[in-house]
Formats: sequence, C-alpha cells, structure tokens
Amino acid sequence: MKALGIVNFEDSTASIDGLGDFRPVPAVSFMGRYRIIDFILSNFTNSGIDHVQVFCKEKPRNLIEHLGSGSYYNINSKRGSLRILYGEKPFSSPVYNNDVANFLLNMQYIEADPNPYVILAPSYFVYSLDFNDVLDEHISSGADVTVLYTATRDAKSKFLGCDVLTVDKDKRITAFGKNHGNFKTRNISMEAYVMTKKMLISLCNKAADASSLYWFKDIMADLCGTMNFRGYNVHTPVICLNSLAEYYQASMRLRDYNAAGELFRPEWPVYTQTNDSCPTRIAETAAVRESAIADGCVIKGTVDGCVLGRNVIIEEGAVVRDSVILADAVIGEDTHLDHAIVDKYATVERVRRLEGTDAQPIYVRRRDRI
Amino acid sequence: MSNNMVAMILAGGRGTRLLDLTAKVAKPAVRFGGKYRIIDFPLSNCANSDISTVGVLTQYESVLLNSYVSRDHYWGLNTNDGGVFVLPPREKASSDFNVYKGTADAITQNIDFLDNLNPEYVLVLSGDHIYKMDYGKMLDYHKEHNADITIAVLEVTLKEASRFGIMNTDENNRVYEFEEKPAKPKSRLASMGIYIFTYKTLRKYLMADAKLKDSSHDFGKDIIPAYLNDKKCLMAYPFRGYWKDVGTVDSLWEANMELLREDSPLDLSDQNWKIYTENTNSLPQYIGEEATVCNCFIPQGSVVLGNLRNSVIGTRVRIEENAVLDNCVVMAGAVIGAGAKVTRCLIAENVHVKPGVVLGDKNSEHITLITDKNAGGEK
Repeated sequence: MKALGIVNFEDSTASIDGLGDFRPVPAVSFMGRYRIIDFILSNFTNSGIDHVQVFCKEKPRNLIEHLGSGSYYNINSKRGSLRILYGEKPFSSPVYNNDVANFLLNMQYIEADPNPYVILAPSYFVYSLDFNDVLDEHISSGADVTVLYTATRDAKSKFLGCDVLTVDKDKRITAFGKNHGNFKTRNISMEAYVMTKKMLISLCNKAADASSLYWFKDIMADLCGTMNFRGYNVHTPVICLNSLAEYYQASMRLRDYNAAGELFRPEWPVYTQTNDSCPTRIAETAAVRESAIADGCVIKGTVDGCVLGRNVIIEEGAVVRDSVILADAVIGEDTHLDHAIVDKYATVERVRRLEGTDAQPIYVRRRDRI
Repeated sequence: MSNNMVAMILAGGRGTRLLDLTAKVAKPAVRFGGKYRIIDFPLSNCANSDISTVGVLTQYESVLLNSYVSRDHYWGLNTNDGGVFVLPPREKASSDFNVYKGTADAITQNIDFLDNLNPEYVLVLSGDHIYKMDYGKMLDYHKEHNADITIAVLEVTLKEASRFGIMNTDENNRVYEFEEKPAKPKSRLASMGIYIFTYKTLRKYLMADAKLKDSSHDFGKDIIPAYLNDKKCLMAYPFRGYWKDVGTVDSLWEANMELLREDSPLDLSDQNWKIYTENTNSLPQYIGEEATVCNCFIPQGSVVLGNLRNSVIGTRVRIEENAVLDNCVVMAGAVIGAGAKVTRCLIAENVHVKPGVVLGDKNSEHITLITDKNAGGEK
C-alpha cells in the first residue's frame, strides 16, 4: 500500500478517567488482552501498511514497551518501520502540545517517508476496516481529504464531544460541528483522514499559521468551505472510547461472543503482544458465564458478565458481576463487585461490596489495595 | 549470555503408541495443556536456561514440526548469535540420502553443524517429554565433577524401573553401569534422556561408533557403554520434580488432567519459568450465557457455549450449546457439536464431534481417543 499510517493522539474531548491517569489512552487495556492502539495498528498492517508512525502526547514508556519493534503487528523488521514520535522539546504550556505542533516538530520523519499518501487516525475509535477501499475511493474521487465517518442513531448518548459532519448528496463535507448530544442521528467524524503527504504538510502549516493552538481537526473545520473534503461512510460498527462510561459500556457489549464477532473477524486478526501466560484455570468452586477472559487467570468465585485481563485472581466466594478487571488484579474472598472497573495490580479484599452503574462504574485505581 | 553449550533436541520420533494422534505429526508437535505443543517444554527450558543455540533433529512427519520450531521468536531464541536450527536428514556428496539410524547417528550426521559452532558442551535432549528443568544447574554439576557425561536421572519405583534405562551408581552418583529396561533392576534411577557431553570427547566416540558395522548408533545402547568401558567419568544428576513421557493416549490424558489440580506438580503459572508457545492472535476465551464451567483449564481463543466439567480445553476449540463434556481433553481447533455428550475422551486436533452424539464411557478402563473416524458416534 502506498500510504504512511499515522496514529494520532486524542485531544481533551477523549479522556478515560482513572485508567487514563496512568497511561495515554492508546495504551489502556481493552477486552482482556489488548491495548486500545492494537485495533488501529492491526487495521493498518492488515491493509498492507508497513510504515507506521505513532504520535504520543506524553508518557511514552508504556507505548514503547507495548509496541516494541512492531513485529507483533506483522511489520517487516527490515522494510517496514514503526516509529514512536513525540515532542522532544518541552512545550511552554500544555495547551501548545497539540497534534499539529508535534507533526511540525517531527516533520523530517514525515517528509522522509517514501509513501505518497497518508492515513491519519486516532486510536480511540475502534473498528475493523480495510483502508485499501478508503484509499481507492479517495484517489478516484479527487478529494483533497477524505474523512471517515459513522452515521449513528445514538448521538444523544454516544460520541459526545466528537466532530459532526454535514455531508451533501455528493458526499462532500459542507460543515464541521460538535456533537453535544442534542440530536439522535448524526454523522460522527472518526477523525481518520486520508490525503496525500503534501496535503498533510500543507494543512499543518496552514493550521500553525492560523493559530498555535489549532489541532488538525480545527483547520479541517476552517477550510471545509473552500477545499474539497469528502466523507467516507463506514458501515461496520464503530466504538468510540472517549470516556470511562463508554469504555465500560463497550466492554460490556463485547463480552458477548456474537457482538465481538463484529469487531474480531477471522480474516482480519487483531494483533497484540503476547505475554505467554498459561491457560485460565476455572476451579471446582467457580461459576462463570457470559464473560470474555484472557489467559493466566485463576477463578474460584463467581464471574458473571465480565471482562477479565491476564493473570486475574478471583478468590472463593467472591462475586463479580458486570465488571472489567484488568491484568494482575486480585479479587479477594467473599467480596462483591458490581459495575466496577478494577485497574491493574489492584487488590480488593477489605471492602465487602462495591456497586456502580452503567453511566458511573466504580473505578479502583492501579496498584490500590482496598 | 552464552554458556558455551549447544542443545540438540531429538525430535524425530513418531510416538507410535499415541495411535492416530501422530498419524500426521511427529510426537513433539502433539498438543498439550490447552495451548502448548510438547516441544514447547524443552525449547522453553533451553531459553530459560540461557542456552542460545538449539538444533532440532527431525525426521518423522517433519513439515509441521520444522516450520513450527524454526519460528524461534516464539521462545525468544531469535538472538543475533543464536537461534533454533532445524536439522532433518539430508543428502551429502559423500553418501546417499540417509535417514537417522539412531539417536547417536542423528548427532553424527550433523557433526559439521556442531564443528562450526565449536561448543565446549553439548546438551542432548528428547523432544517429547514434559517437565521444567534448569539445564544451567546441570551444567554447573557437570563442570563441578569434571564429568565426561552427565545424565539426568529420576527416581522411579522398582516396578516402573524395568520400563526405563537404569543407572547403577556409587554413593557419589558416579555411574558404573547402565542397564536398558532391566528385568531385575538394581537401582531406581531412571535416565530422563537428558545428557550433557563434553564435546571434544563426544566427537571422538561418535566418530568411532560411526565406523562400527554392528552398532545401532544409539546413545543408550552404544555410546554410553563405550564410555563406561573406558572408565570415563559418567555422573548421574538427580532431578526432583515433574517429568513425564506422555507415550500413550492414557498417559497424555492423565498428564493434561493433572493441570486441573490446584497443587499441580507442573506449575505452568510460574512467572519465573514460563513455558512459551506460538502467539495465536486469538480472542480472549468466551464463556457463553448458558454455559456452565467447573474445574477446567481453558486458553484464549476458545468458545464455550455448553457445559464443561473436569476438562482441559485447547486453543480455538468451540463447545456448542448443550454439549456436555466430562473428564475430557480437547485439542486445538476441535468443535463439539450441540448436545453431544462426551465422557472420558481425548479429542484430537481439529476433529468435529457431530451434534447429539454420545462418546466415551465414564467407567472405561482406557481413555477413548476421538478422531475423524469415530467423531460421528456409533454407526
């Protein structure tokens, strides 16, 4: 494929409270054995993109460890490249740390890439998509930029804060707006853009000229009246992990095998780093149903409607319902969890009962002992 | 880190007593413990023991095994100066295509491979045993005793002893006699088929043995007796822990079932001695709404919609609605059809058990092996 894949970082409209305090959103664990970034990276490499740049706003350690040289994602170790890029100069204020500023600071790497096209996408939109189809349509349409969107009927409760596109009958984007949750049906921008590399460079320069605080999406909104921006409607399910509640609800939906099939297609694998944990042991005292479980767990209690990360321990008498338990957490004897998200390495043993709701799941912090 | 020891894994055997499980793959490639293949154990032991170069000698049905072990990154063995090297029999300018005639002959035929590496020590292993062992400690023992060969031994019962190669030793663990499957064993120290040789000496003995017309070119039958004859220093290295030669369908099933115990003697969850295997890019395991699961070992990539008791499930296995499995070992990729009732069975890789059939018997003396031939039930 003739495109460089760039994984962009998210702006302040997407923040997963709690989980996001410890690592950037792309590095947040999802569905037991994945990190959020695995989905966009797998879309890239399954589409034949083997030049990938991952832009990171801050705290790169987690991502560097997870991504490695890219061999987990089927990136050829000689011909391909997976680069993690971030602003190596300090920003005088966090507001200056936007995507455009980071692109400009690392422009030499973008310029040096041999591919004529760029696919720019954030990781917090999760979907399963072949970018070859998108690039083909982009080239044949003659658009300056092609913007992926999903037409949703859930805009009142989901995709809050996301960009909304107004698309005319020729698929031309006539306006950008924000989803404030006032309307049911909206075209939500997935912030995934296809363009030539030249166009990316030119738009970055225009953004910086307009305002040092501009994000890439801001210059898109400014210029959509004068330039040829086109929408590409993605018809398969699109998940937007822009809040803790969304993260929780997506986990609860995907714990069902049939629902998961929309995202995990046999011919379109999702790659991730392997941890070499042994299979999960479900003991005689356990009762497990409707759950998605990673390797290495030991389950002696009741697990009902959960997503369990690697090496989670559920002790005897513990009852865990409709919850997300991240890797290496321990749920102690006779504790009851309902609608909870327990972060990595946390231990729940003294608290007897924790109950959250769909909109406000309880979050237990990383490495906490409660 | 290099310890100047090269491992040579003998992985050419068929494992005839595993019946149809080895109809198309060699025994070391047979599945074990849900997500593993048997050869993952010696290969992971090598990696965990800081051995960087491993030769794998393959012969019987070697295509799958060759392509599997050559992906050395599975075990982290893809280092700059190491790796896993697949060594099947080959045609040579000096001789016609020769199969490996015995365990020693397999090494002799690859003496050029060893000469190029010029190691100080050679570790010879079998590719079809299940155990965790630090070969580094065994090498320390070998050096400490200035041995010519160190042989790992396991204490077995006198009754079992007549099934093994038995080492008769003095009070310092020095071997004075080796008996292959003795009718009246004098010792309970069984050879585990794990040898450390000082390479220079081994090379001489291999070359000499190759010239003998009536030799079976076997380590146990020919090489070790020759060393003993010359009063060389052979040390027995006592191993305590889990070791299993899963040679039959019954023993393979049993070894799998032992993983269900909380105090499983083969602790696969030890973070300091992981057993590595293929990264299958599979989903987490899914347990369905109507499923019941009790006392099971289940890896990622499997889907359980039916009812499971006391069973070990493989990668990519699918248990359909209302299927009932009790005391079963299910190998990778198998599908158990809706409503099937399967008891005390070992279900081979990729077998589709037809919906509604009844297989196995909870009182059977032996474990029923289910393959494509009998997956449809009684006719």
